[in-house]
Amino acid sequence: MNGAPGSALWLLGHELRLAWYGSAISGGKRRPGTASIVVWVLACVIMHAAAFALLYALGKGGMSEELQGMAAGAVLLVGATFMLSSGLKACVLALFERGDLDLLLSSPLPSRSIFAVRLLGVAVSSATLFLFLFGPFANVALFMGRPGWLAIYPAVAALATIIACAAMLLTLVLVRLFGARRTMVLAQVLAAIAGALLFLLSQAYNLMPRGNREEVAADTAHSLMQHGLLAPASPLWLPGRAALGEALPLFGLVVLALGAYLLTVGRTHRFFVHGLQQAAAIGHAAPRPAGSVRFRFRSSLFETVIVKEWRLIVRDPHLISQVLLQLIYLVPLLVLVVRGSDAPGPLIGTGLTMLCSSLTASLAWIVISAEDAPDLLRAAPAAARTIRLAKLAAATMPPLLLLALPLLWLIARAPLAGLLAAFTVTGAVLSAGLITLWIGRPAARSNFQKRGKENVASTILDLLSTLSWAGLSFTLVSLTSGAATWTLIAAPIALAVALAALLTAWLFRRRAQ
Amino acid sequence: MSLTSSDTPALQLRGLRKHFGRPAVDGLDITVRRGELYALLGPNGAGKTTTLRMVTGLLAPDEGQVEVLGIDMARDPAAAKRGMAYLPDDALLYGKLKPPEYLEFVAGLWGLRPEEAEPRGRHLLDWLDLSKHAHELTEGFSRGMKQKLALAGALIHEPQLLILDEPLTGLDAAAARQVKDLLLSHVAGGGTVILTTHILEVAERLAQRIGIIRQGRLIAEGTLAELRERTLGGSLEDVFLHLTEQA
Repeated sequence: MNGAPGSALWLLGHELRLAWYGSAISGGKRRPGTASIVVWVLACVIMHAAAFALLYALGKGGMSEELQGMAAGAVLLVGATFMLSSGLKACVLALFERGDLDLLLSSPLPSRSIFAVRLLGVAVSSATLFLFLFGPFANVALFMGRPGWLAIYPAVAALATIIACAAMLLTLVLVRLFGARRTMVLAQVLAAIAGALLFLLSQAYNLMPRGNREEVAADTAHSLMQHGLLAPASPLWLPGRAALGEALPLFGLVVLALGAYLLTVGRTHRFFVHGLQQAAAIGHAAPRPAGSVRFRFRSSLFETVIVKEWRLIVRDPHLISQVLLQLIYLVPLLVLVVRGSDAPGPLIGTGLTMLCSSLTASLAWIVISAEDAPDLLRAAPAAARTIRLAKLAAATMPPLLLLALPLLWLIARAPLAGLLAAFTVTGAVLSAGLITLWIGRPAARSNFQKRGKENVASTILDLLSTLSWAGLSFTLVSLTSGAATWTLIAAPIALAVALAALLTAWLFRRRAQ
Repeated sequence: MSLTSSDTPALQLRGLRKHFGRPAVDGLDITVRRGELYALLGPNGAGKTTTLRMVTGLLAPDEGQVEVLGIDMARDPAAAKRGMAYLPDDALLYGKLKPPEYLEFVAGLWGLRPEEAEPRGRHLLDWLDLSKHAHELTEGFSRGMKQKLALAGALIHEPQLLILDEPLTGLDAAAARQVKDLLLSHVAGGGTVILTTHILEVAERLAQRIGIIRQGRLIAEGTLAELRERTLGGSLEDVFLHLTEQA
């Protein structure tokens, strides 16, 4: 994109170039490598094949256009919640975390242009994934005689723009109401909740009281589909109808997106600058009078390290949101554990094991791999072994403490199944911590979301360990309720794989430098 | 506070070598006496930071021996580190900790008892003007405040040997004066300071002895007067440029 230097178009080109370098396809290079191109072409082919299979099945099934519009609307609604989640994260990034805004705002570029481009960047980042997912449907539909489906492209782009505007406005309102520091936390938490919203909604049926829940669910769905929000004529399905090429809804959606974008840029760019000024003040709390300093020195190194690690985690909003997201997924499982009256099913133990393992892996990465001052620890006379053990404890204690009560409750209700679930949860948590302790690589905390790419061996072993402990939990708890004999064979295999993952990590453990 | 007898040097390097593809430190022999402020000077890439990282146990030498306060770093690193503190040019801090919490952590690493750590921590924060910022996270601190807090962390266990890599870079005049006073008072109290700096006036005014290294080798060492004698006078800057260009 070659706008005149200093123009909004030129700035957009700069943003797109940066986005390209940060994308998974480019791998940080100007031209992607051959392997990367092959992987992406392959992914595109698979997506198109899947789209063809689905559209072919739809064609044979003879689904009415009304129903197709409702289905597309539902899919876009699901996408919109994820767009909101990624939009909020992108806004926090744009306002607080990218270090280039001081340079841009100190240049002669109008702040309105900077805001307009940054907002467009949020919209593009939200839309990209969904265009990749839904684009193949438009392409395949064109060759199957449904050119109207090409409207998927403008519909997704328009929806992403509307959601990006909403996310930016929400972030700026939060800055206005609560200040920059709290907004960072709140926006990250909201993004986590938005990301998990559909999961929580999908669990609504499971969380309803047993007994007549089938009837209640059927009645509610029927009534909503007849007259309420889910009725075929409901405006909820308009984006879906727009995506399938219905002219008026598409026109309305695009006009709404353009209007939202222009209004947001025109009316709120001053708040944007205000938000940036607030962000610059982060960390500059008003000084308090001297003499109010309170120390709490601890006599044990172990305790000192644990307290330091927990302080660093709870004060990092980005990490909190990531960890919180995993905790949100635990909520329905915990409700099932506490509420159920009959013996706990194997899926509860499996779910708890998987979530605790992944939560521990995240915490272990933060605590062990993302140490901010490794030279301070190495220059100190403290025993490296004690520090490492304390870090392991700091990563494993929160998940175990979190699940202690539900597991005790489970044990009280069904002692054998509960004990077996507690065993697999503990095994999974310790394995996840040890794998990071042994083969984790030093990294910056800001790279939390990229941690999987930076250390592929650790990611694979983590995944293997999580799945095998979860599998072990499923088979063992199934055995307590007289499951099929295949579980007798599967249980030792799952345990062997879990231990093999641990052993591999131990064999490849990093020696202290 | 003495770890070993007071007649052993604070630091003794014998035939120290480190290669990173090419020699970074190439057979370095340095002895720093107790109660001395020693400045290690050299052009960029001369091997100053590599030397200090080997002295502090952050880097293992390929060859040679490091003795800190009479203790061999390779044989008993924990004992050698106990009497030493290291302050690199980029302060070793945690952005999400407040100053008292940082000092609590450092005191824990050096195994200080709470009853001895608390008065020292309080005194250091007051002395370095950080008490009024005790409730702020260090991520919002200026470079000078960060450097002062790192110094407080380095001093909380009352080290006999203080090692500083470019301690005055980026500090304003007031903060630089405070750090210089602190170093002089540490030496006056019997402690030893080894520092690297590119600000030659600082070495000229503070150091009792100066070592100049180039390409990992010690090319000159002595008091400022001795170095001037070798190079026919001038300021330390003249001496430094003469020696490093000549070598």
